[in-house]
Amino acid sequence: MKKLSASARVYLAIVFIVLYAPIFYLIFYSFNSGGSMNNFESFTLEHYIAVFEDSRLLVILINTVIVALLSALISTVIGTLGAIGIVTVKNSKMRNTLLSLNNVLIVSPDVIIGASFLILFTMIGIKLGFASVLLAHVAFSVPIVVLMVLPKLLEMNKSLIDAALDLGATKKDVMMRVILPYIQPGIFAGFFLALTYSLDDFAVTFFVTGNGFSTLSVEIYSMARAGISLTVNAISGLVFFVTVIVVVGYYFITSRASKRTGGTQ
Amino acid sequence: MKQLIQATIAILVVSALLFYAADALSAGGGKSGKDTLTIFNWGEYIDPDLLKQFEKETGIHVIYETFDSNEAMMTKIQQGGTAYDIAVPSEYMIEKMKEENLLIPLDKTKIPNLKNIDPYFLDLPFDEDNKYSVPYFWGTVGIVYNPKLVGNLDFSSWDDLWDPSLNRKVFLVDGAREVIGMGLNSLGYSLNSLNGHELREATDKLITLAPNVKAIIGDEITPLMINNEAAVALTWSGQAADMMSENEDLDFAVPEEGSNLWFDNMVIPKTSKNIDGAHAFINFMLKAESGAQNADYVGYSTPNIEAMKLMDKEVVSDERYYPTEEQRDTLEVYKNLGPDYLGKYNELFLEFKMSIR
Repeated sequence: MKKLSASARVYLAIVFIVLYAPIFYLIFYSFNSGGSMNNFESFTLEHYIAVFEDSRLLVILINTVIVALLSALISTVIGTLGAIGIVTVKNSKMRNTLLSLNNVLIVSPDVIIGASFLILFTMIGIKLGFASVLLAHVAFSVPIVVLMVLPKLLEMNKSLIDAALDLGATKKDVMMRVILPYIQPGIFAGFFLALTYSLDDFAVTFFVTGNGFSTLSVEIYSMARAGISLTVNAISGLVFFVTVIVVVGYYFITSRASKRTGGTQ
Repeated sequence: MKQLIQATIAILVVSALLFYAADALSAGGGKSGKDTLTIFNWGEYIDPDLLKQFEKETGIHVIYETFDSNEAMMTKIQQGGTAYDIAVPSEYMIEKMKEENLLIPLDKTKIPNLKNIDPYFLDLPFDEDNKYSVPYFWGTVGIVYNPKLVGNLDFSSWDDLWDPSLNRKVFLVDGAREVIGMGLNSLGYSLNSLNGHELREATDKLITLAPNVKAIIGDEITPLMINNEAAVALTWSGQAADMMSENEDLDFAVPEEGSNLWFDNMVIPKTSKNIDGAHAFINFMLKAESGAQNADYVGYSTPNIEAMKLMDKEVVSDERYYPTEEQRDTLEVYKNLGPDYLGKYNELFLEFKMSIR
């Protein structure tokens, strides 16, 4: 890697400060005993304790993570298979249509997706709650996974499959031992993107929650109406901490994967 | 491939553990399963302790959900999907829900604690004889201001807003009824006026306020006032209380000419599956102890006289939040104007908005 020039480094530093300053500002005040974001009085953990004492808030936090993990997992499976399906379509017109349909779902506004889900679920009689939120999150995550996996599939050399078949591999072997390992980085990228999409979605979730099931984004939104209390800061700090752990985990997975493929080549 | 399977298993195991944890946490109040009560309330609008007390007293498991606007609340109730047993809409929304046939009439024999409520807050035009609703919190519309930024003005009169020194310093809430109502009040008219001349006069007067108006916005006023970035705002007393608890410089005034009196009331929506439980909850919330504890926690004004006796003297004697009877006489509750006049109000409000540059 080339060394960065001084001006580029300054620019980079400014960008990172702008991106991270609000988050650290928020976390800093989550330790404030003063009760507001105006002046810092003294260090306290009371707001974190308040989060852990409020079992309703904790359940919501856990719900948010469960929905994110499961919806990302399910949508990764569906999205990967979908991407493989799209690639195997021979007719290029058909393939482009499928891709466009996939992209339309990514750019369509969340509010509209949410409202249509609400109407759909109440029409076919799905009880609003965990299942409806999970289904909605899977639905809006699938197109993202497709988009993350596709480039890897397109980049793959077709003769790899032909060679495997010539050597006597069954179709199942080709899938398990050639295609999936090759597109693995795309699958992981899709999973993590779906995870973050699910974590911070408000608009869709708001419409499809019910029966006591809520996620953090919905809860914080209605809490914020009465002014941001420092409990919100504390919970945001916790979520940020979890996110950092997830990102570090992702880093280790990818670096291990690349080391391995590097070793066998 | 192995990694993919490993990752999948890891995710499933973590999810299962979290499921278990969430289940253990939410079952803390006793596993009754069948006997549950689903409450739909504004965010941060109840002391969570009270829910636990209620669960302990009655054995009914409470599911608590929040919303952030009357409109969103009504949409979810109308759409069905969740069987809400209690909701807490504002007065104009109660009227609307009544019209749409979304509410169940209350059985007063099951709510003996209704006697704790100040009669002044009962039998109001939006729900005569309290057939469908019971007061939860109430407040006024007034002016929150920062004395350091406005000089000697004390906003005992609406006309103070027109003071030339406030050029581009006034924030208004984005509500037709609130703003047009303020114009009507400042001229000494009723804020439920259906008189074309009065409405015209009020709008013309508001248009002369345009040079002082900096913006017409919603909840964003709160942080602006707290951070001393705005000097004066027309807002609800509840919102003002939030601002003042964060910024001690601020003060709140309800001008003498009169203003609006607003309510958030408890109702039982048609979707309710536990009507007895809902009545029990309403009765529980009307207890003097519950009312006092809730008002201490939330910081809004309680309609519960018995509760006020248990509260801090300093709070309940604060005339900004608990106006004297004399002051209350100038306050008016919004009447349902009907779609035609509501349209007229909106049209005039739009005209006023367009005059602002």
